[in-house]
Amino acid sequence: MRPSMTGLEISRRRQESIEFQSPFPSRSCFRSRSLMASAASAPSRAEVLSLFRSLLRTATKFTDYNVREYVRRRTIDGFRENWGLSDPSSIASAFADGRNQLEVAKRQVVVYSLYAPKIKNVMEIRSG
Amino acid sequence: MAAAKHLSLLRRAIPAGRFLSTATAAVVDPPPPMVVEDDVISMKGVRISGRPLYLDMQATSPVDPRVLDAMLPFYLSRYGNPHSRTHFYGWESDAAVETARAQVAALVGANPKEIFFTSGATESNNISVKGVMHFYRDKKRHVVTTQTEHKCVLDSCRHLQQEGFDVTYLPVRPDGLVDLDRLAASIRPDTGLVSVMAVNNEIGVVQPLEEIGRICKEKGVPFHTDAAQALGKIPVDVEKMGIGLMSLSGHKIYGPKGVGALYLRRRPRVRVEPQMSGGGQERGIRSGTVPTPLVVGMGAACEIAMKEMEYDGRRIAALQERLLNGIRSRLDGVVINGSVEHRYAGNLNLSFAYVEGESLLMGLKEVAVSSGSACTSASLEPSYVLRALGVDEDMAHTSIRFGIGRFTTEAEIDRAIELTVNQVEKLREMSPLYEMVKEGIDIKSIQWAQH
Repeated sequence: MRPSMTGLEISRRRQESIEFQSPFPSRSCFRSRSLMASAASAPSRAEVLSLFRSLLRTATKFTDYNVREYVRRRTIDGFRENWGLSDPSSIASAFADGRNQLEVAKRQVVVYSLYAPKIKNVMEIRSG
Repeated sequence: MAAAKHLSLLRRAIPAGRFLSTATAAVVDPPPPMVVEDDVISMKGVRISGRPLYLDMQATSPVDPRVLDAMLPFYLSRYGNPHSRTHFYGWESDAAVETARAQVAALVGANPKEIFFTSGATESNNISVKGVMHFYRDKKRHVVTTQTEHKCVLDSCRHLQQEGFDVTYLPVRPDGLVDLDRLAASIRPDTGLVSVMAVNNEIGVVQPLEEIGRICKEKGVPFHTDAAQALGKIPVDVEKMGIGLMSLSGHKIYGPKGVGALYLRRRPRVRVEPQMSGGGQERGIRSGTVPTPLVVGMGAACEIAMKEMEYDGRRIAALQERLLNGIRSRLDGVVINGSVEHRYAGNLNLSFAYVEGESLLMGLKEVAVSSGSACTSASLEPSYVLRALGVDEDMAHTSIRFGIGRFTTEAEIDRAIELTVNQVEKLREMSPLYEMVKEGIDIKSIQWAQH
């Protein structure tokens, strides 16, 4: 159980939260925009880390070698790129975007696994 | 009497003009399907242990999962025809098409009203070349293009020649770039179109579009460019480059196959004669139902490309360096076809000296690459693009085109280097020509004895 924190510490933690740009751009106009409104408050560090971990976990589930590697790489590079974002509204919109993209990735994991080819990619076969 | 009846029955059963032969008719068997046993694929006489790693991005690119996600709803529940004005299905489909149009327009700096969806860059090229010249056929009888254009442009020009138009096929310099002075000199008062592709699909050379656009604007000639390989990879701006018509392709930017777009400038207006007659869809430029899922996919791909262009560009340039250094550090006699400075990084066309092309490809079956020559087809002619560059026949035969893309990994590049270097070394070891070269004999000076 953590000792109680002062208000100053809480706001400092918020400032330190890992900023990121979503690796996936926003979806087409048919996606509801309500997510933007609900994300008006900046996400906490824990939420951001949780999103990062979810994206990486989802990446490992792809059956296609190239897509798997791309999602993993783009997530890490995307989060690293936006380490320095400080404006709370851009953090919030990026977080909402990231959450949208996590949903896209989860759906696509299912689609790719339904049609996975029976033969593996040569990169996945351990060669002598 | 009975025999005659039988004969007449027989005659009716057999189509007129055919006689009954006792030999069994030659049945053409369909090609044997792919055989998979114990995780080894056997196809066309080749056995490979798994799906090859893909390094042929100029031929086509894999569909990005984000694009697929945008497309699927339009195959499942939102299946309306965008031209249906009377119900919700049509309205939502139309809204999706217009969104996609705006996404494509944003990538090239155009107005959405200037984008028309077609079935691909080939159709867009046809509309551009034949459509423009047919529209202005009374006043304009001349077309200027280059020798390294895509087959669809060259074939359209040949078609125009048969109709009586004049076509100038400009030669290119050995580095693949077009000579701007020759271009300016070849434009006549009756020139109706100048067509130069932005990025060449075989050698990856990037033409100086801004300069060409400026020349065409001065002379008042519409400038058409085939930007199928350039879209989403290098920044394309129709205003800065003075482009009048542009052909775009969906499946080269991680979008679906079967869709493309045509950019037609509105100010000053470029008019074309439509090649597809029908209900006047796409403002009469291209009739036919607009395929909503494909168009939505192309729009999504363009939006993604706009956001990822810088990241992908950096990454692909680094991968190209890695590939080139990896091969060059272990092999000599490696020549890059086309200019090194004015090149799109994702296209690397290499020729390996003293190696026979067909055998090189046979050994590279675990890497999906393309060759510069047509030696995989029936004719043994080297590619016309390499011939236009002035590459020797033997070097043209051994050219390999590596295509690097958004999804290519470092591990794939390393594996490709391994496989290529091993195969080339193996072939050179067997090659008597290479032995002579190593001893210092100049091959070109050899007098081959005739028996």
